Order: sequence, then structure tokens, then C-alpha cells
Amino acid sequence: MRRTLTTGVYFSHTANNHSQSLDYKELCGYLQIVPEITKIWNSSENPPTDPEHFAEEIRKNNIERILIAGYRPGFIKPFFAKALQKAEKAAENIILADIFNGIPNGMPLNEWAKAKLICALSGIPFDISLLSEHNPAQSETLIIGGGIAGIQAALEIANSHHKVYLVEKTGTIGGHMAMFDKTFPTLDCAACILTPKMVEVSQHPYIELMSYSEVKSISGMPGNYRVEILKKARRVNVKTCTGCGTCAEKCPTSVKSEFDQGTSLRKAIYMPFPQAVPNKYLIDADSCRYVQTGKCGVCVKVCPVENCIDLDEKDQVVEVNAGNVIVATGFKPFEASRMEQYGYGKYPNVITSLEMERLVNAAGPTGGNIVLRSQDKKGNWIFDADSPQPKSLALIHCIGSRDENYNKYCSRVCCMYSLKLAHLIGEKIPEAEVFEYYIDMRAYGKGYEEFYKRIEEEGVHIIRGKTAKIDEKNNRLLLRTEDIENDRMLEQSVDMVVLAVGLEPGSDTDKISSMLGISRSDDGWFEESDALSNTNQTLSGGILLAGTCQGPKDIPDSVVQASAAASSVIQSIMQKGVPKSLASIPLEDIKQKAMELSAVNKD
Amino acid sequence: MNRIDPDFKEKLKPFGVGNWAECFHCGNCTATCPLTDESHLFPRKGIRWLQMGLKKKISRNLDPWMCYYCGDCSETCPRDANPGELMMTLRRYLISVYDWTGISRLFYKNKIWELGFIVIFALLIVSAFFIFLPPDPAIISNPGAFINAQGGVMINSLSTGLGNEQFLRIIETGDLIMAITVGLLLISNIFNMWYKVILSDPDTRVPLFTYVKEFWRLIIHFAVQPKLSKCDDKKYWLGHFLLMSGYTIMFILIVGLLPKFQVENIYPWYHWQRILGYYATFGILLFLVNVFIRRIRKNDIKLQFSHGSDWLFIILLFLTTVTGILIHILRLNGNPLATYYIYVAHLAILVPMIMVEVPFSKWSHLAYRPFAIYFSALKKATAEKAMKTSLATAI
Repeated sequence: MRRTLTTGVYFSHTANNHSQSLDYKELCGYLQIVPEITKIWNSSENPPTDPEHFAEEIRKNNIERILIAGYRPGFIKPFFAKALQKAEKAAENIILADIFNGIPNGMPLNEWAKAKLICALSGIPFDISLLSEHNPAQSETLIIGGGIAGIQAALEIANSHHKVYLVEKTGTIGGHMAMFDKTFPTLDCAACILTPKMVEVSQHPYIELMSYSEVKSISGMPGNYRVEILKKARRVNVKTCTGCGTCAEKCPTSVKSEFDQGTSLRKAIYMPFPQAVPNKYLIDADSCRYVQTGKCGVCVKVCPVENCIDLDEKDQVVEVNAGNVIVATGFKPFEASRMEQYGYGKYPNVITSLEMERLVNAAGPTGGNIVLRSQDKKGNWIFDADSPQPKSLALIHCIGSRDENYNKYCSRVCCMYSLKLAHLIGEKIPEAEVFEYYIDMRAYGKGYEEFYKRIEEEGVHIIRGKTAKIDEKNNRLLLRTEDIENDRMLEQSVDMVVLAVGLEPGSDTDKISSMLGISRSDDGWFEESDALSNTNQTLSGGILLAGTCQGPKDIPDSVVQASAAASSVIQSIMQKGVPKSLASIPLEDIKQKAMELSAVNKD
Repeated sequence: MNRIDPDFKEKLKPFGVGNWAECFHCGNCTATCPLTDESHLFPRKGIRWLQMGLKKKISRNLDPWMCYYCGDCSETCPRDANPGELMMTLRRYLISVYDWTGISRLFYKNKIWELGFIVIFALLIVSAFFIFLPPDPAIISNPGAFINAQGGVMINSLSTGLGNEQFLRIIETGDLIMAITVGLLLISNIFNMWYKVILSDPDTRVPLFTYVKEFWRLIIHFAVQPKLSKCDDKKYWLGHFLLMSGYTIMFILIVGLLPKFQVENIYPWYHWQRILGYYATFGILLFLVNVFIRRIRKNDIKLQFSHGSDWLFIILLFLTTVTGILIHILRLNGNPLATYYIYVAHLAILVPMIMVEVPFSKWSHLAYRPFAIYFSALKKATAEKAMKTSLATAI
């Protein structure tokens, strides 16, 4: 039997942006009932500064274990490890209770804190004490978002013979990965990995693909959600359209292509890209001349299939039932024009990394030819495959990431994709000089550091120092950077600059968060129920996260998380039960459960 | 050799604020600065040295003087580490390093010392006036005797038992004593700076000829601050120039040309004595009001973190200017008694202000900045010459 350790509790009064404030006094009173607690520190001194003083008190009260409670308590863990060491106690006996993490809307903070404290004191992870509470589950699953994460999760679930509704808001599944040319670090062709999966989705008997659709509302309870899905009018019959493209040839309206990041033009009736799934045309109502003015209809006249195009089609709402929901809504790239010092939108040859992905792509606007932007007859800046190639390029890392003025977090993928782009540029224009300006090189994954070394050996100039500004001089771009490792200022002229933009939560994140009742962390990403041990579930029962909507990550990690979310779903279908939403479980039950579990542990 | 002083960060605290521990060395500040060049890479390197505790290196470095604080680096710093404010803090620190008397360090570390010094000095001046140059009792009984033909107060005749020439000579002597004291202190501090920066550097042996050749820089940078005009805000340069030129003119008028400035007559408004006085007052006041508003509003990053010494400087200068204007108005209005009292108050603020600010505090930058640029040019010229010689011998 394990002996109970005498415990000291430290309340960390860290400032946080939570709307409710904690009544620490009441919590201290509440903890009096726990016999092993011999000391409670409830001081507003934060962070604590004098380990000697704490060591003294630890000795005096014979404390063997310390519980740090508050907002992100892990930050001050090293301090208490030191204090315990100084007091000659085992430094590993520190437990943390992050009181503010994951609190459902409307929950009284103090009650929530008590449940968390009891779980922590009992040594039971908070989400484990929830596990056995289940609602009966329906076997259908709703997946929101058809990027690589949504596709992966859909296939995993469907392959185990359970029905999946895959809702995608654009005209094709594939997401951002479909736009990439190659993947790091293996330089595999992204489309070669992705498109077979996309096709599999479209042909899978257990997957109902709803492209060009959005989740409108969700009601019911975990295990039995009723979902209203808005099917936006495609105005082209998916069943009869053969994808011949005659309509688009004749369509008089051109607008910038979303898929090509605006580097090329598409018609008002269009297929997002040649391998789109479904491989059918659709009409963009905002640019269609008929929808806007009531006069046109050229596409209807030229379409070889009868009654295939219905310009007057209306949006529909369909209703489905789902036991579990996987959110895989992805990210949006950082808006580079927000950082005025780099002149994105002002200088034509300052482009974002995603635009560069399209330029290098053989299916891109220039057929894979990297060219400088040039002006057409009307004076618009376009990418013309016959324009001159840039002879020198610079890639600037950390655009909008690791920056207190924009996003504080590291976007995780930019270092690696920049290295990859540097390599691809070298492949396409071998004589080009490529410069990379970075703050820290984060090549953290399997085979990534080796990839970095390889790119360095290929002759890319990799320079430590963040470029501070870009000016245009003699039609070239002048970059000012401190070359930190060589202790000098660099003023480098290049033809083209690629801004390695970071990842931001998608524009629908707010809407989805309130619709599904899932919380978001400080930086806007959806919050998982436990940052270490449960990264795909949320505290709302039956609602799971996959891919970058939970935080920036690369393709392998997105795929892994999608599979994990799918396995949670399959598990709940097999067990015929979905965890209840935390908000609906009485906190008393959680505390009871934690104590029961911990009693079992001790015996 | 550079010894590491682990407590240096703590020691620097009284001189300013900053989150320099936050810096992750991306180099954005150095690259965004319009004034960095090959020989002066700042502010990032300074932050590095500070984080490492290289006290000696910092105290012999001229980089902080090359910064004119436009604030671009602090605005775009991805870590909110406030590099611009660090440069400001290091300038305060360097002022205390150059000052061999240690008084400057005392003033920066403890406001009480500085304020106490000013109050005691002011009281000394006031009591000196009332003991040795008290107001003539006749001012009250017969104020008309102190009014000149133009209807203005005869400022040098207000003290009892002294002729106006005698009074002026006493004030002039006092002025000279003040100017010489301040001058000697400042010059000795510059000598100390020269010793630290040039003489104690074994790699820099500056030939006499170079001193002469580069001397023009000292004059130019003292007179018109071309580097400040390279900082993005041209209006700020103009404001600073008005302040500086106004202040210099005033200083020359009251120290060198007092018999021509503080005269019994009231000249017509277009007389050079009045025009110069008006220009100086306007220049100083315009800048002061502007800086007051911006320091209070804190909407300009470079004026967000006001150190006690910054406030003291503008408050003293403001009070001096206001009392100066009051003397002028009271004289024109023919009010001899009020003129006397305000005159005493004016000197009681002016003298301690110059005694504190010029050798020991913020104003010493009027000398340190141009000298830093001069010394930097000397070092650069010497290094270039050494490079040429070594190349020649190599060939």
C-alpha cells in the first residue's frame, strides 16, 4: 500500500485573461478537509523568488509533496523542484493543477477548481475521472473539414464500416495539402499521396461527401447530435456533369483563383483544380454574371448535357444524425500585408510561401516555371510563364509567428517548408542564389535535421538573422538583415522574396467554437481536453479534434491526430457509448470518482 | 580581458526599464535601425553583452551614443524586449561611468540626492541674494525711481546700496564661476571618456594628425545633429534643433554677453537682444510643451518610459523659461518689486539646473554624443590605416 504524502499547496496568482476570478480564500478553506495538507501558500507574490525561504517552510512543515495550482502552473515547477532539493526532499514530488484549463461556459470557476484540485491530489488525471460517464452512441460520424486530417479520419472510420458525413465548405476536398508541390523531408509529391485518398473518399460506400456545404447548427446531446447542414447551391448537377469544361471555356467572367492563391485566374463556373473531388464544375455566385445581373446564361447554352446547369438552383438545408463529430477545420495562412515593413501587396515580387508553392507546382499557373511577376496589357500584375526567371531569391522565416505583435507561437512548419522551397527553387533554377533568413532553425522531426543539413550542403545561403525591412531599389528588392553569426550588416539585393507566413486559426473558428461549445486556447486554436495525454478529445462529449485546427502541425502529425480521433470514434461506436459533456456532469461526481480511483490505486 | 559581472543586470535597473531578458537575438532591431553601420551594430549586440554581464565592454562602448532613439526597433521587436529603451538606459549608465566624481551615479540611483542637491543649491542662492543683495526698501515707497525712460524696470538697480554696474559685475562673476565649474567638470568627464574609449584600448593608437583631420565631425554633430535627421521623424529633429539652438543662444547671452543682455534700457522689439531672446524662448518652449504632452500621453514609444531624470530635466527647464518670461513681462509693465523676486527665483532654478544637468545628467549628452562620434571616427580611421599598413607589409 502506498503511503499518503504530506502535501503543501501553492496557489499561483498568475494574471490570465479568464473572465472569472478565483476566490482563493474559499479554496483554502475547502482544502482544510484534506488531512494530508499541512501547509497552504496563498500569496500574491508571483512568481516566487526565494527558494531558500520555501525550503525552510518545507522543512518546518515536513512537506513531502507540493501541489501547484493556478494558471499554467508548470511555469514555476522548476522553482519548487529547487526548493524541495534545498530542503533535502525528493524533487519529483510535484503535482500540477491547471485550474483555468478547459472550463466550460457558465461553470462557476471555484467549483471547477475544487474538482481539479481533488483530482490532482488523488493523482488521477482529470479526464480519466470523466471516462466512465457515457451516453448511448449513434454510429454515424460527422467530420467538418475535408483537408488531409478530415480525409484521413473519414477513411479510417469508413474502413471499419461506419457511416461518415464529410462536410467541406469549398468545392473540393484536399485542403491546403492539395496546393503543395512536395512534402518535406522526403520530397514526395504531395498530390501523389493525397489524390488517391481523395478519390477513395469520393467512391467509398460508407462516406457521404458533402462538398460546398457548411454546418449550420448542431443540437442534441453527445452520442446523438442533430446536425443541420447548409448545402450551398452548386448550380451544376454533380450527378450529370462530365467535367468536360466547355462551360468554363465560354464563361465571360474571370476572377482570381482561390486554389492558386490568386496567382492565376479562374472563370465564374469552374473546377477548383484538375484533380478536384468531386471532379465536377460549380458556379461561384459572387462572380457569376447571371446570378448578379440576371443576364448571361452562356454556360447553359454550351453545356452538352441536358439540364445539367441550373442557374436558379437554391441553397438547401439537410439534416443528419451523428453520434460523434470530428472537427478538422484546419488553418488559414497569416495575412502577410499586416507586416508593412515587408511590402507584401506593395512590391509585386514579394510573395507568400503558399503562392510560391503554386509557382513551383507543375500544375500551377506557370506550369512549374518560377517567374517574376510582370504586367499585362491592362497593367495588372500577373505570373506569365514566359516572363524572366528570378536569379536570386530570399526566404524570410517567422512571418507573423514568434512575434509578440502578431502571433506569439511558433507555427512549426515554416522552417521546414522554407528549406523545402529553397531546394525546389534550386531544382528549377540551378543558377539562382537562394538566401534564407531565420531566427532559429526548428528542424525537430524525424529526418528533418538531416534535411536541413542537406539543403545547406546544396549551397543555399542560410543566414541567422531576421530581415527587418524590404525596400525596392532599381527594380530589385533590398533586404536589410543583421548577419548575427558573422557579426555584420547585410544589405542584400534579390529579385524575389518569399515570406514564410505562419499558421492562424481558420476564419470560421469562432463560429464553430460557439456552435459546438468547445473552448479555444489563448492563441485561438481549439482546446484539447489534455495537452499531453488527450490531444484529440475535447471536454464536450463526442466532439473531437484533428489536424491544425487544434494547433499548428505538419502533415504527418495531422494524419496521426486524425487517426487518433478516428480511433476514439470507433471505440465509442464499439462500446456504444460517447463520453458525456463535462458541463453536464456534476462536479461532485467527478470528485467522488477521483477519490474512488485513487483508493483503488493505494490498495 | 572581459570579466563577467553576473549582477550587472541588477546594477543597471536604477538607470531605466526594459525586458532585455526576453531577447532571443533575431537581429530585427539592428537591421531596422536607420543608423547602424559596419562599425556600430546596435542595439542587439548591447543586449547580448548585457545578458552576459560584460560590464567593462559596455562601459567602453560607444554604440549607445550612436542611437538617437527613433523607436523603430522597439515598435517592431518580436519579443517586446524594448531595445530602444535599453540604449537610453545605457546612455544614462555611461553618463555615470564617465563622471569620475560619482555624483552622477548617486543622482541616477536615488532621486532624493538629486532633488536634495537642487533644493539646497536653490536655498543657497536665495539666501545669498537676501543677505548680500537684498531689495532696495525704496522699491515700495518710491517705485517710480526704478523705472527707466521707456517705462520699464531697471533690473540692475533693484538691490540696495549697489550701483547698477556693481550689481551686474557680481552677477557676471557668479555666472562665470558657474560656467567654469560646469565646464571643468564636463571637460574632465570627457577626458575620462577619452581615456576609457581610446587610450585604454591597446589596439587603437591614434596619431595626432587624425585628431586634427576628423575634428570637423565634432563641430558638425554638435551644431546640427545630422544623424538625428536620419531618424525617420524630421519634425522631431526640427524641434530638437530649435531647443538646442535656443538653449545655446541663451547660454551665450547670459554667460558671455551678460552686460549686453541684462541692460537697464528696454530696447525696441526688433533689437537683436530681444529678437535672440524671443527666438530662444520660443524654441525651448515649443519643444518642452511638445515633449510634456507626449511623455504624459505615452503614445510615442520613445517617450513611454520616462525616467525620473527625464521629468526633472523638463520641469526645471520649464520653470526656468516661465520665470524668464515673467521677468520680461514684469519689466515691461514697470513692476520693480515683483521683478526682483522673480529674478531671484529665476536664478534659484537656473543655477542648480545647469549645475546638475550639464555635467551629471541628461544634458551632458550635448558633449558626449558629438565626442562619441568623433572618437568613433578616430578609431575607424586608425583601424583603416592599420589595415592598409598590414596589407602593404604583406605584399
